[in-house]
Amino acid sequence: MWKTLTLASTALALVACSGNKTEPTRVETAAAPETTVPEGATAGYNADRNAYFGDMHIHTRNSFDAYIFNVRRTADDAYRFAKGETIKHPSGFDMTIAGGPLDFYTVTDHAEYLGILPAMNTKGTALSEVPRAKDMFSTDPAKIVAAFQGVGASVRSGEKIEDMYDEPTITSVWQENIAAAEKYNEPGVFTTFSAYEFTSVTTQSEDGGFGGGNLHRNVFFRGEAPERAFSTLDSTNPEDLWDWMDLQRAEGRESIAIPHNSNVSDGQMFRLETYNGDPIDAAYAEQRMRNEPLVEVTQVKGTSETHPDLSPNDEWANFEIYDELLGSYDVSKTSGSYVREAYRNGLKLQEEKGFDPFRFGLTAASDSHVAGGSYSEKDYWSKIGIVDGLPFQRGSVPMPGITDWADQPVNQTTTNAKNWFSRWSASGLTGVWAEENTRDALFDAFRRKETFATTGPRMKVRFFGGFTYTDAMLTSPDLATQAYAGGVPMGGDLVGTGAAPQFIAWAVQDANSAPLERVQVVKVTSSGETIYDAACSGGAVPDAIHRCPDNGASVDIASCETSPGSGAGELKALWTDPDFDPAQRATYYVRVLENPTCRWSTWEANRNGTPPNPALPTTIQERAYTSPIWYIPPA
Amino acid sequence: MRALIREPLVHFVLVAALVFAGHAAWTAYASARDGTITVTEEDMERMAALYASESGALPSPQDMAAMVTDQVRDEALAREARRLGLDVGDTIIERRLAQKMSFMVSDLADTPAPDEATLRKWYEDHPESYTLAPSITFEHIFLNPERARNTPGTDSQSLLKSLNEPTPPDWRTLGDPFMLQRAYGDLPIRETVRLFGADFARALFSLKAGPEWQGPVSSAFGQHLVHIVAREDGRLQPFEEVRAQVESDWRDDALRGANEQAIADIISRYKVHIEGAE
Repeated sequence: MWKTLTLASTALALVACSGNKTEPTRVETAAAPETTVPEGATAGYNADRNAYFGDMHIHTRNSFDAYIFNVRRTADDAYRFAKGETIKHPSGFDMTIAGGPLDFYTVTDHAEYLGILPAMNTKGTALSEVPRAKDMFSTDPAKIVAAFQGVGASVRSGEKIEDMYDEPTITSVWQENIAAAEKYNEPGVFTTFSAYEFTSVTTQSEDGGFGGGNLHRNVFFRGEAPERAFSTLDSTNPEDLWDWMDLQRAEGRESIAIPHNSNVSDGQMFRLETYNGDPIDAAYAEQRMRNEPLVEVTQVKGTSETHPDLSPNDEWANFEIYDELLGSYDVSKTSGSYVREAYRNGLKLQEEKGFDPFRFGLTAASDSHVAGGSYSEKDYWSKIGIVDGLPFQRGSVPMPGITDWADQPVNQTTTNAKNWFSRWSASGLTGVWAEENTRDALFDAFRRKETFATTGPRMKVRFFGGFTYTDAMLTSPDLATQAYAGGVPMGGDLVGTGAAPQFIAWAVQDANSAPLERVQVVKVTSSGETIYDAACSGGAVPDAIHRCPDNGASVDIASCETSPGSGAGELKALWTDPDFDPAQRATYYVRVLENPTCRWSTWEANRNGTPPNPALPTTIQERAYTSPIWYIPPA
Repeated sequence: MRALIREPLVHFVLVAALVFAGHAAWTAYASARDGTITVTEEDMERMAALYASESGALPSPQDMAAMVTDQVRDEALAREARRLGLDVGDTIIERRLAQKMSFMVSDLADTPAPDEATLRKWYEDHPESYTLAPSITFEHIFLNPERARNTPGTDSQSLLKSLNEPTPPDWRTLGDPFMLQRAYGDLPIRETVRLFGADFARALFSLKAGPEWQGPVSSAFGQHLVHIVAREDGRLQPFEEVRAQVESDWRDDALRGANEQAIADIISRYKVHIEGAE
């Protein structure tokens, strides 16, 4: 026994050693930066805050939909992937994270029937004996689809399938996911949270399928997580979820929920009524903001910033728009589905009724269902599993054996590719400004909304607003310190003095991605929206209509090479609003645009030696969105 | 800790103290019960040792009492469950039994102490396991590409010159603001590539450490004057420094091999019939 113990403790000691080795330690020289580092801070602590990147929306085999698409990777595999290890895609190829390990990562399996499908597919369990299990894991596609859609219908309606709803299994798998998050959480190095997805969908479709207005949100616990997760099988109403979160909070279990894919919510995510159709009021707004301070604005399944119909004067609004309801070919209603319109409606409500339920910050994620997110257009594997794992399944190359797009047949695969998978893309990551990479520091940043969203690359962006900022600050090495001291960062409220505020918009490219084209400030008021270019690459200055000149960047579609010499590594501006009205509320956020690069579908076509799908854009302009700063007129 | 746990005297004192504390706790808990649940000295020794290896400290009498209480509770519930037949036909329990058997196998399959030559050969065959990645500790002054136009007279060469004079200005007050950190400690090369790009990392790791400021080094963001405080080359650690790890790795591998063999031996005692297989 003692010998075994000796080995075990050696192993423990070794684990500890290798952990220390990779940990960046503070410079302990006389010339180290002079910041106050509190007692107990981790290595890398920075009072002016560091940008950390992560993905907080990941599914594994324990999600009912992932399992049916042959995903067998676990939460353990997911965290190993985020730390740089290679794992297998259900279609058989290797997945390695683009751009190196992430700083934080979180598994958010669907709480509904969590872990039930794996149990149904395990011989000897009671769950494997229920009739639906026989159908679900049969060889008859019709039976499989019917059984699976029945589960989808139950998740949507909230009516339990009694013989499948095995609470002990669900609870024990929830505990397993919590344990995996605990195992990989390493303060100062890598952060995880206990989390899950609440899978609410509105519209009832006739076919019993999964289609409907998406009201999904992920729930994250700051520290201790409750014994069981509140799911749509408890209530499909997100307001009931908030009640439950409030209750958990009262018992010391702090959490936030982050809604996603408002783009396919059929106008429901930001509608101006409660779930049951009652008028919203101050209490609703307060509860929503207490529980949902952030919204996921971009992911593989499209971007929810705005839509060309809502923002006809925004030349960049038509970006990775995806608007088909989940699991159907029905188009989602536009109004009520996009973030920028919600900001505007929020201000309207604030001015007319005195409350704003949409004063949220922004995040991004992949929503990968294969445990590992694909963030790079160059190395893309979509996100579901065996139905979209290969290029022909997602319409970037013609069906096997075909070389001309004119010969592409019409079948289930090509129809799904055309309507769904070809319109998704590699995205996204959340950037967080926090003092250190720990659960507490990151969660505090979520609460402050000091977050930004990128469509995959790790560009970093700062945004500050204040009344005493000067041009000299832009060249002062302690810019960030001064900016924090004299104003508010992204996510903050800027209360007016009567004077016009100054904003500092500052972005640097991802050193391993393309240079930046421009930095923009998006201004939203109750009466409209304006896009201002604030900084242009090549030292250019925006013209009278606030636009940078063309910087000359180009992409060679045949090779995906980009033109050298155009674009900036860093862009920075002290910006004042030329149309400022001190008496009007305004919401300002920054949008950063990279130079154009090849879209994933072009990379895959080139590798296949076939022309890019003529129905798809050949290039993409990756971007970042910050959480807003809200200007509030003086009282 | 390892050395401490190996020390026979510590071993004896530890066990004696814990047996006493644990016995007292258990007596209090179990005396009112019928039937017998025995918590042996070995049980308590195992609990104490596990506690020590996880927490790095010896358990207090209160810790010990709590562990014994849990043990008694688990044992009682397990017996009751078996009495009710809950263990029959349960996949989870069958898997756990198989797992437990394979753990037992790993105790059975003992490995002899390796000799020096064996360990050296293992070390030579697995250099990647004993190589430290290159890392660097540095400070840098960032110069925005537009600096020359905006602030004439502060070009990289004149800054560099002033920094290397006998009474240099405070480097923190120089250059342009930089969004990432201005000083990094023991930054592995992989992280350097992630933050600054491959070209910068390559150039930075080709510079020597020393008191003087060097550069400029180009990155995707602009130019950097750098002060390399320390640079560690990637290096194979000498055998003597990693001997303990080598031995542990060798043992793990030997044990894995022996375990597989032992499990194969067990399987070979059964006739295996797989329906549908050729």
